[in-house]
Amino acid sequence: MGTLREILPSPKTSSSTFYDHSSDPWFKERYGGEPAEAAAGKLAGPAKPVPPYGKRTGFVPRRPEDFGDGGAFPEILLAQYPLGMGRRDDKGGSKILALTVDAQGSVAFDAVVKQGENAKKIVYSKHSDIVPKIATADSEAVEDEEYDKEVEETKERTVAALQKIVNVRLSAAQPKNVPTHDSESKFIKYKPSQQSAAFNSGAKERIIRMSEMASDPLDPPKFKHKRVPRASGSPPVPVMHSPPRPVTVKDQQDWKIPPCISNWKNPKGYTIPLDKRLAADGRGLQEVQINDNFAKLSEALYVAEQKAREAVQMRSKVQRELMLKEKERKEQELRALAQKARMERSGAPPPSTGMPVGGGRERERERVDDGDADMDLEQPREQRRETREEREARIERDRIREERRRERERERRLEAKEAAGTHKKSKLTRDRDRDVGEKVALGMAHTGAKTGEVMYDQRLFNQDKGMDSGFGADDQYNLYSKGLFTAQSSMSSLYRPKKDGDSEVYGGDADEQLDKVMKTERFKPDKAFTGAPERAGKRDRPVEFDKQEEADPFGLDQFLTEVKKGKKAVDKIGGGGTMKASGGSSRDDYEGGGSGRSRINFERGGR
Amino acid sequence: MLPKAPESAVPGKNTTVLSIPGSSDRFSTSALMERLPSRWPKPVWHAPWKNYRVISGHLGWVRSIAFDPGNEWFCTGSADRTIKIWDLASGTLKLTLTGHIEQVRGLAVSQRHTYLFSAGDDKQVKCWDLEQNKVIRSYHGHLSGVYCLALHPTIDVLLTGGRDSVCRVWDIRTKAHVSALTGHDNTVCSVFARPTDPQVVTGSHDTTIKFWDLVAGKTMCTLTHHKKSVRAMALHPKEKSFASASADNIKKWSLPKGEFLHNMLSQQKTILNAMAVNEDGVLATAGDNGSMWFWDWKSGHNFQQEQTIVQPGSLESEACIYALSYDNSGSRLVTCEADKTIKMWKEDLTATPETHPVNFKPPKDIRRY
Repeated sequence: MGTLREILPSPKTSSSTFYDHSSDPWFKERYGGEPAEAAAGKLAGPAKPVPPYGKRTGFVPRRPEDFGDGGAFPEILLAQYPLGMGRRDDKGGSKILALTVDAQGSVAFDAVVKQGENAKKIVYSKHSDIVPKIATADSEAVEDEEYDKEVEETKERTVAALQKIVNVRLSAAQPKNVPTHDSESKFIKYKPSQQSAAFNSGAKERIIRMSEMASDPLDPPKFKHKRVPRASGSPPVPVMHSPPRPVTVKDQQDWKIPPCISNWKNPKGYTIPLDKRLAADGRGLQEVQINDNFAKLSEALYVAEQKAREAVQMRSKVQRELMLKEKERKEQELRALAQKARMERSGAPPPSTGMPVGGGRERERERVDDGDADMDLEQPREQRRETREEREARIERDRIREERRRERERERRLEAKEAAGTHKKSKLTRDRDRDVGEKVALGMAHTGAKTGEVMYDQRLFNQDKGMDSGFGADDQYNLYSKGLFTAQSSMSSLYRPKKDGDSEVYGGDADEQLDKVMKTERFKPDKAFTGAPERAGKRDRPVEFDKQEEADPFGLDQFLTEVKKGKKAVDKIGGGGTMKASGGSSRDDYEGGGSGRSRINFERGGR
Repeated sequence: MLPKAPESAVPGKNTTVLSIPGSSDRFSTSALMERLPSRWPKPVWHAPWKNYRVISGHLGWVRSIAFDPGNEWFCTGSADRTIKIWDLASGTLKLTLTGHIEQVRGLAVSQRHTYLFSAGDDKQVKCWDLEQNKVIRSYHGHLSGVYCLALHPTIDVLLTGGRDSVCRVWDIRTKAHVSALTGHDNTVCSVFARPTDPQVVTGSHDTTIKFWDLVAGKTMCTLTHHKKSVRAMALHPKEKSFASASADNIKKWSLPKGEFLHNMLSQQKTILNAMAVNEDGVLATAGDNGSMWFWDWKSGHNFQQEQTIVQPGSLESEACIYALSYDNSGSRLVTCEADKTIKMWKEDLTATPETHPVNFKPPKDIRRY
C-alpha cells in the first residue's frame, strides 16, 4: 500500500488548489507583520504563556497581551477587556469636567457653561459682564477699508451658503433633474484581484451588466417617514440679572381685581349678598355732576309762569271792563230805544213799557220793571189828559200786555228748562208725550167718526177665511186694522205699507202665494170619521155620526140562527177572542185602529 | 471693539473701570465704584425736540413705519389693515395700500429695489412693488402673527419674527424660506440685520437677545441681561453698538461680541414699544403710556421727556406710541400712535445750551439690575 496519492489518479488542476493567502492583502495586514515583529523581538517569543487553569492565582490580566489568544478569565474578578473589546469609554461619558486654568492662572469657572454646544458660542457668565463699561474714543473709530472688506467677504460667504440652501429647497420643490429612466443597462468591466486559473475560468476580467431592477409603479412607498424629535435647543445660558424682586404687600393690594359679579348674568345661580352685588357697580365712585343749566331752566320757567299769569290777569281785567262798558252802552241804547218806542206809541207820555227785546233775562226784566217804575212815576202827571177812549184803549192794551207777559213768562220758563237740559217742550215734542186720555181731553184725538167714517169691527170681515186664513202669531194684535186716532203726525214712526209690499215680502206674486196658502189641503183630514156622512165642504157644525147598532155582546139574536150550523167546542176557543185592542163595543169595520199589530181576524163561529 | 484701559492711570490705584473681560476680574467692585463718576462721559448737548405736525388719516392704531431711501415719503402700517404712504415734506397722503387682513405690524422699504415689505398679524408677509402699487410676492410659512420685519443691508434676504418664536429668513426673489432661526421661547418682537457677523440680532418676549449666525442658522450668543421682554432695539448707524429697550431699563451693547456696555441713566418705568437713534447720537424711546424720552447715546443721559397729547376725540388712555423712526437724515422723527395719528417732531432750533441746560449727574454707583 502506498500512499493514497499514488493510488489515486493525479488531480487535474494545479497543486495550488487552496487559496494562497500569502498574497492576500488582508492577511498580510493581519499576520504579515508577525514575522517582522517577531524579528524585531518585540516580545519574548510568543507572549508569556497564559497560566493554565488552576494556576492563575495572583495573575492580573491588564494588557491585551495577557489574554493570549483567548478571552477574559472569569475567575479573575476584574474588569477585563480582551482585545480591547467592551470598554465603555465613549458612551455616557463622565459628567465631571476637568478643572482648567487659563493663561493668567485663573481658574476657568465658566467651563461648565461652555460645554457642548455652547463651546462654539459666546457665553457671558462673569460679574464683569454686568458691570457698566464706557467705550472710549478709540473704539469708535472704524477702519473703513478693513471693514468694507470684511463686509464683502461676509456677504459672499453668506450668499453662497444661502444659495445652496435655497437651491436645495427649490429643486426639491421643482425637480428639474428627474433622473431619466435609463432603460439601457450599463456595462462594467471588473478586474478582480484574485487572478488564477481557479477563478473565473482563468479570465482576467469580468464584464458586469448593470441594469435597473424593474420596479412596480403601483407599489406603495417602501419607507415610512418618521418624525424625528427635535434636537434639544442649545444648553441654557447663565442669567445675568438679579431675580425678580418679591412683590410688596402694597403692590399686591394694588393689583387686586375683585371678581366680576354681573348685574345681568348668573349662570351657576350663585346667591350673592347684596352688598357684593353693588360693590362692583361703581356707583359710589362716580360723582354725578348736575349741569347748572337745569337750575337756570327751572328758574326761567318759574319766571315765565309768573309773567304769564300776570298777563292773563291783566287781560281778563281789561276784557271785563270792556264788557262792562259794552253792556252799559247797550243798556243805554236799549233805554233810548225803549224811550223812543214809548214816545212813538203814545205820542203822549207813554205809561208803561213796550215790547221787551229778546228773551227774558231776569235782569232785563228788572230793568224793564225799573223802567216801568220810572214810567209809573210819570203816570199820574199824564192821567189828567186821558179821555174815555184812551182809557179803553189803555185797558185793551193792558190786557194784551198781560197776555203777552204771560206768554213770555211761559217761554222764559221753557227756555230755562231747556237750558237746564231736561225738557224740550216744543210744539212737536209736546204732543208726542201726551197720554191718550189727555189727547182726548184736549180734543186732539180725531177718530174716524169725526170725519164721517164708519168703524166696523174687523171680525165681521173675512169670515170665510176663518181657519184658512191661518193661525196668526200669539202676540199679533190684529184686532184692529188701523189706529184709533187718525191724527198721527207724519213724523211718527208708523209703518206705511207699500202697495206691492206683500210681493216683496212673500217673493214674487203675492196673490199666488196667498191662493196657495188658502187652498192648501194640509189641514183637511185624509179621511173623515166613519159613520159621518161624507161631505166635501168644510165643516160648519160639529160632525154628525150615524148611529151604529151596537152588537149584542151576548149574541142572543144570533143564537138561534147560528145554532143550526152546529158548533164545536174547540171553535169557541178561537172565537170570542179579544185580540182587538178595543174593549167594549167592537167596531168591525174599523181598520187601522187598535194596536198596530196585524190582527188575527177571528171569525166568530159558533152560535 | 474692545474698550481700552485709560491712559491716565493714577499710580498706586487700579483705575480700570473699562474692562478687557479678563482683566476686570482682578479689581474689586469698590475700586470700580470709586472711579465711576469721573470716568463717565459728559453728555453732548442736543436741542430739544418739539412736535410740529400731527397727521391724522388712519382709522386704527398706527403700528409701524418705514422710510423711503430717497427720503421723499414714508409709509405707515396700521391696525385698520392699510398701509398709507405720506409725503414727508408736507404730510399729505399719497397712497393707500390694502391687502392685509389684520393689523400691519412691520414695514420695511428696500434700499436696492423698489420694494416695500409688510408683515401683519394675519401671518402674511407681502412684497409690494412700488411701481405698480401691488403685491407681487407673498412669503408663506409663518405659523402665527408676524410682529417684526427687517431687511438685510447687503444680501437680498428678508428676516421676519413673530409669535411662533422663530425668526424666519426668506430669499426675496424666489420667495423661498431659507431657514428658521429657532431658539427663542417666546414671541420674537424685534429684529435687525447687519452686514457682518452677527448678521441677525433678535429680541424676544422671553427677555433674551440672541445673535445669530446666518450661514449656519444657529445662535451665536444669548444675552440674558434683561428682566422684561425686549420690545425694541436700535442699531447705531455709525458706531458698532446697539441698544435694547425693555420695561425695566435700556441697555447698550457693543457689537460683534455683544458685550454689555451700560444701562441708560434713568428708567422710563413703562413698557417701551419703540426706539430709534440717529447719527447725532440722539436716542428716542417711546412707551405704552405715551411718554417719549430723548437720551444722549454716548452717556446715557436723558435730556428731554415728552408726553404725547391725544388728538381731540380720543380717550386719555389712547396715548400710546407704537413705533417711531428717524428719517434718513436724522433730523425728523416720526411717531406712530394709538390715537390714530402720526406725529412729526423736529429739533427746536431756537434753543441753546443756555436756555436748555444739561443737568447731568454722573452715576455714583453701579446700579445692578
